[in-house]
Amino acid sequence: MKPRKFLKYGALALSAAVALGAGAARAQTPPKKFKVYLSMSYSGNGYQTETSNLIKALAATPPYDKLVDLKTVISGTDVQAQAAAYQSMVSAGADAIITFPISSTGLNRAIHEACEKHVLVYTYSATVTEPCARTVSYITAGFAPNTAQWLVNKLNGKGKVFIDRGVAGNSVDKMNYDGAMSVFGKYPGIKVVAEYYGMWNSQTTQQETAKALAAHPDVDAIFGENGEDGIVSAMLASGMKKLVPVTGENTNGFRLALANPALRKRGLDGISSGDPINVAGYAFKLMMEELLGKRKVTVHNIEYPLPWVPADKVKVCTGDTFVNGCNAFPSGKVPDSFNTEVFDPVLTPELSLNSALHGTPTPGATIQPLPAGIVKEAPNVPGVNCQHCKAPADLFKLTKVVATVKP
Amino acid sequence: MTQAPLTGNGRPADTRGGAGARGWLGRLDRDVRTALALFAISFGLVIASRVLGPNFGSLAQMKAILVISCFLMVVAFGQQMVILLGGLDLSVASMMTLGGVLAFKWVGGSDGAVLWGVPAILAVTAALGALSGAGVSLLKIPPFIMTLAMGVILYGATLGFTQGTPSGQPSAPLSALFANTAFGTPILYLMVLAVVAGCFVQTRTSFGRKVYALGTNPTAAYVAALPVHRLTIATYAISGASAGLAGILMLGYVRGVTLTLGQSYLLPSVAAVVVGGTSIIGGRGIYAGAAAGAVLLTTLSTIVDSLGIAEGWRTIIYGAVIFAALVLLRDDLAQLLGRRRRTQETSQNNP
Repeated sequence: MKPRKFLKYGALALSAAVALGAGAARAQTPPKKFKVYLSMSYSGNGYQTETSNLIKALAATPPYDKLVDLKTVISGTDVQAQAAAYQSMVSAGADAIITFPISSTGLNRAIHEACEKHVLVYTYSATVTEPCARTVSYITAGFAPNTAQWLVNKLNGKGKVFIDRGVAGNSVDKMNYDGAMSVFGKYPGIKVVAEYYGMWNSQTTQQETAKALAAHPDVDAIFGENGEDGIVSAMLASGMKKLVPVTGENTNGFRLALANPALRKRGLDGISSGDPINVAGYAFKLMMEELLGKRKVTVHNIEYPLPWVPADKVKVCTGDTFVNGCNAFPSGKVPDSFNTEVFDPVLTPELSLNSALHGTPTPGATIQPLPAGIVKEAPNVPGVNCQHCKAPADLFKLTKVVATVKP
Repeated sequence: MTQAPLTGNGRPADTRGGAGARGWLGRLDRDVRTALALFAISFGLVIASRVLGPNFGSLAQMKAILVISCFLMVVAFGQQMVILLGGLDLSVASMMTLGGVLAFKWVGGSDGAVLWGVPAILAVTAALGALSGAGVSLLKIPPFIMTLAMGVILYGATLGFTQGTPSGQPSAPLSALFANTAFGTPILYLMVLAVVAGCFVQTRTSFGRKVYALGTNPTAAYVAALPVHRLTIATYAISGASAGLAGILMLGYVRGVTLTLGQSYLLPSVAAVVVGGTSIIGGRGIYAGAAAGAVLLTTLSTIVDSLGIAEGWRTIIYGAVIFAALVLLRDDLAQLLGRRRRTQETSQNNP
């Protein structure tokens, strides 16, 4: 197994060098393709589909279309099934596995085995604690403390707040909650009057927000997570005359609401931040550069920069690409629950709306190399991206806002 | 629950004579009393929640609870019909998702599309339900397995069809059902109509009575030459259509759909039916009870959610109250109380 692997690597490295160096030799020996597996735990929500589409689109963009043989495996919500899927990929001769891991700790053994067989393992969005894998995520970038502080500033340190959480028992949910409470807890004037689980989808978020609004129509602001377009829908459906500030993630419906002058006039304001779809695109490009030997990645945890779009910065796109700094699409083009952060002019200029919707490459686009010093190491979070480690004291530090109100 | 055959003829038409002259409540059918009791408990819970905060127990809160419970009420109708038959429908969650996804695709965007789109979706979901019914009735596959398989296949098909992201448009006419107007919210009126219509179908039509008969004693129904296969297939079709309708309504409420739309309704649909006084082995119960069960479950979750306590405790309280409701509404408890009262009455009459 091993010698064959080395031979293969050698051939690949050689073919890559040939492809890069002398164009004349290319015609005779077509470069051998890397076997790359995309392992998704579950499908069935927009987030999962969009992230996998970005990876498929990049793998089909020249020159990766000639270098990568991408296979997708969806193993369901069972940790064991995903571990088994990794093992099958390794036995099938995978060169690299890019994955959305269902558990941050339960897959460690299977990942470690893959690493021992010299398979490169990258996770996107969700993380694992196994140190041989590379995790690319926004988790540590401070979504919750920054948006919470923005709300506190907006409320002048005083008011009733709802916290819309994710999925109970999930490590990201806990991290977001702790981050938000690290800010709210400092202000005695901030009262968290309701706390509910929106399950990171618009529908549950709307229903749970509607229930909370019925009990507390005098709420002053709502801290939201993914599915936050449901918060705005619930406020509109409840017949509230005056809307309140909402923070949330990157759904198109939320951004359009923030850009709507009529809703702004009624009091809606907010920040669109949080989990970007494009983290998958960035992870894939980084993995490919490491696989092709163009980049040496030495850190285990890689941080994706936090998106931050205040209401007055929302700009609706006219076409299918993010040109002129636009960051939302007209309502007819994508559903309200569509996650808009599918593109980044620096990290993934190759992508367009169609890449996210259908997994197709952008016509005429070629893979652009990532900037040299782009990799930013993420801080440690025990149980999330490392084991037997300590989180830094400033894990929940503010990076996007400053506290304008004294606790 | 084995007392069902004994009181199995406790359907509205049958017990009326036996209730005697014990006041107007006593003259009401046992199932109607259960439904009224559940509505009263829900109402009482909302009023009692005033101690939690100044805005609890408001009219706005009651309205919000009723609106949110409409989805569960609609799914529970089909689930109850199947349970009355002695079956169980585990495909309602996927069926509901399918209804929502198809509505998003077909009905959204154009106002006129509601006219053909909604009947078309109901036809599709009814046909798929009928397929489950055929499996249960003709192939003798246990309902649990048949509907579980149907649910999994449907979920897979919906996932493949949409590739994970349902596409479409919200529908203005459907959303108008949930809008606040000068005369209230339209969906609330429709819910009242639905309860009346549901009870009518169950207790006043030949189809409904045959379902009870089949659920109470399948052998007797067969001997009596009831069209057992057709009844079973039709009942599962109704369950499919009502889950589909719930999905369509969800599009009106949320203005978008996800592939997990129906997931949180599967077990509550069974819980609402059972809490509502329907025998899990079939043959007894009316829709008013299931509807009241749906309202009670929604009321409970709304109030428990607003308590501001940790999720674990919330779930425990939620479960404990459902358990208490089931125990309190047990038939033998009512019988026991009734017997004691009758004994007292007898002893008073014969000193």
